[in-house]
Amino acid sequence: MKDLWQNPRVKRIGAIMLIAVLVTVMTGPEGNGAEPTAGFTGSFAAQASFFGIFTVQRWIVFSLLTLIVVGAIALAKFVHRSWNDRAHRGGSDASAMSTRTPLRRRLDMKSSRYVFYVIVLVLAIFLPHVITDNSWQTQIVQQILVYILLAIGLNVVTGFAGLLDLGFVAFYAIGAYTTAWVTGALPTPPPFHMQFNTFFAIPFAIALAMLCGVLIGLPTLRLRGDYLAIVTLGFGEIIYLFANNLFGITGGATGTREIPFLSIHLGSLKYLWGLNPVPYYYLTLGFVVLFLIIFSSLEHSRVGRAWVAIREDEIAAESLGINPLKYKVMAFAIGAASAGFAGVITASQTLFVTPPTFTLQFSINILVLVIFGGMGSIIGVVLGGLFIQIFVVYLEHSPPSGYNSQDLYMYLGALLVVMMIFRPAGLFPSRRRRREIDQIEAGTAPDAVLTDVGPHNRVQEEMS
Amino acid sequence: MISPLFDVRDVTLRFGGVVSLNKVNLHQSRGEILAIIGPNGAGKTSLFNSLTGVYAPQEGAIVFTNSRGKAISIIGKKPFRVSAAGVARTFQASRMFNAMTTFENVKIGAESHRGLGVVGAMFKGPGTRRDEHRSDIRTKELLEFVGLTQQANAIASTLNYGARRRLEIARGLATAPDVLLLDEPAAGTNPTEKLELVELIRKVRDEMGVSILLIEHDMKLVMSLAERLYVLNFGSVIAEGTPAEIRSNPSVIEAYLGSVDTGVAQEARDA
Repeated sequence: MKDLWQNPRVKRIGAIMLIAVLVTVMTGPEGNGAEPTAGFTGSFAAQASFFGIFTVQRWIVFSLLTLIVVGAIALAKFVHRSWNDRAHRGGSDASAMSTRTPLRRRLDMKSSRYVFYVIVLVLAIFLPHVITDNSWQTQIVQQILVYILLAIGLNVVTGFAGLLDLGFVAFYAIGAYTTAWVTGALPTPPPFHMQFNTFFAIPFAIALAMLCGVLIGLPTLRLRGDYLAIVTLGFGEIIYLFANNLFGITGGATGTREIPFLSIHLGSLKYLWGLNPVPYYYLTLGFVVLFLIIFSSLEHSRVGRAWVAIREDEIAAESLGINPLKYKVMAFAIGAASAGFAGVITASQTLFVTPPTFTLQFSINILVLVIFGGMGSIIGVVLGGLFIQIFVVYLEHSPPSGYNSQDLYMYLGALLVVMMIFRPAGLFPSRRRRREIDQIEAGTAPDAVLTDVGPHNRVQEEMS
Repeated sequence: MISPLFDVRDVTLRFGGVVSLNKVNLHQSRGEILAIIGPNGAGKTSLFNSLTGVYAPQEGAIVFTNSRGKAISIIGKKPFRVSAAGVARTFQASRMFNAMTTFENVKIGAESHRGLGVVGAMFKGPGTRRDEHRSDIRTKELLEFVGLTQQANAIASTLNYGARRRLEIARGLATAPDVLLLDEPAAGTNPTEKLELVELIRKVRDEMGVSILLIEHDMKLVMSLAERLYVLNFGSVIAEGTPAEIRSNPSVIEAYLGSVDTGVAQEARDA
């Protein structure tokens, strides 16, 4: 019995159950003077029906939910391991040297991955025919695709280049306000005093977001670690305050005037995006795919390797001729591009832009997606984003009884805690990131390995 | 004619009131294997850091002449620019990219001097593919040169000390340097690995034509490898000459006997 409690897994599950009970108590009804213990006793009563399907006691529901999460993580672990094992035998970065890998298996590996991607893409294309509810479709664009765009952008900055950016929302805001500016929805006149076709907001917003990325990056990216996080936090706040207080330029706290829907008028080609969310869905999906392709080829390029080098050891990278500042600024600008585009979509679909959207909370939400999915792993960030945002949309769409919107962060917080216990590198971590975290955990990060006793076995394991 | 490589004149480096290097003069010719020795805290690594742009000495001049005969002033240049000029280095405590494979470690060196190429990297154009291919070939050659072909796909952190040293040398060589600066390459290696290392360093000079400047504590290794030595003590050069001259130099013996490393002086005479 005592041995059982010493088992780390049992300990972890125990800890999670404790979190579940805590969440139960916190979501219970408020106590009052007449019945001071109502909050406590009520929290264990069977009246709550989380997700509208359970009518059992709340603590059982939460415990079940945590067990489901633990199970999902274990499944992710299993899938990821078998995926990676195969990837490692015929992985792309090993391909240059691995003469022992039969070519066919390598091709199999590659093609099976592509088949998987194509299947996912086809499913995504048919999704609007499956989910035909308009409000759901809008939510899918605004809450899922836009968030995924932002998360893969932040992943370039935080995951690839290792820069903790707490003001990422600023670039999103810049994208949204640029759309308003270009289409003449701001008090300031649009560029060159001509109201641009809304579609031109896209290149404008992306360019301006990237420019701001460079401008904010040049002075601040000389800083490291915590200092950078604080400065980017400040940058996010500055942009928010600009939006909120510069009444004559941004429209202040009341927000912008109405922003027209996206439209194309090029010669005979005319198309107007309207209230129907489906065209927006396809446009955004197209850009998500485009950014995914660009970012993943960046990851496996010279640029991606330079980012990893800087992340792991800046001094060594610099001694090899890599200019850290240049690559960091580049990561900032590239990440900003996708956020700028996300801003265009939000601005033109929701018709108004108001400052309260662009708070620190938003930056942190995006960071949560990146951490949850696995920093530096594009597929992980996409899946993590999907997982969390579907959860969020579901809670918003059909809230359980007694749910109020702030509760969301409590659930997300609990989810993150569980993640950090079981999979500190995220749901689907990139191989490198996982190695880095393993090394830190095992204390074998630089210089700790003096003998070749332990690690040697691992070499053979990796090679075989 | 002997062409110059490094010309260090009256270099003084201070950290606040502490003088780390005091009017150091050093000269290295192209193709030479030069060693810097000295007791702990003598300023050897500070000198290295000054030569590679990590520190900017307050006084003096460091002039590096590259293979095209162009004289380049090092002081005030950032490390990545010094690297681009043709100076590669390794570190005292080896600094590899631990989570990457051996192959990737070297490849990063091989491709670091090309331009940014973001657009090419985004869309994988034919130029980018050609570059990649060239870097792959170069990396393979270098791994073979240092004898790490077998461990090409091993994660760097799993390598033993000797292999790490060789990896760092390969990574430095990948940047196509004129000179390779080695900061205590033999530290932590066993006697067999040491012998292999000496051989490798000679091979680097003889076959690749890369000059070598090294710091080393292992007297046997230094005396057998270096063609000329500088002895540093308290930030100043106290002696300069061939191994035979250094071994019999009274001020060197005094410097070593006067310091904690008494054993080293004994070793220096024995070697």
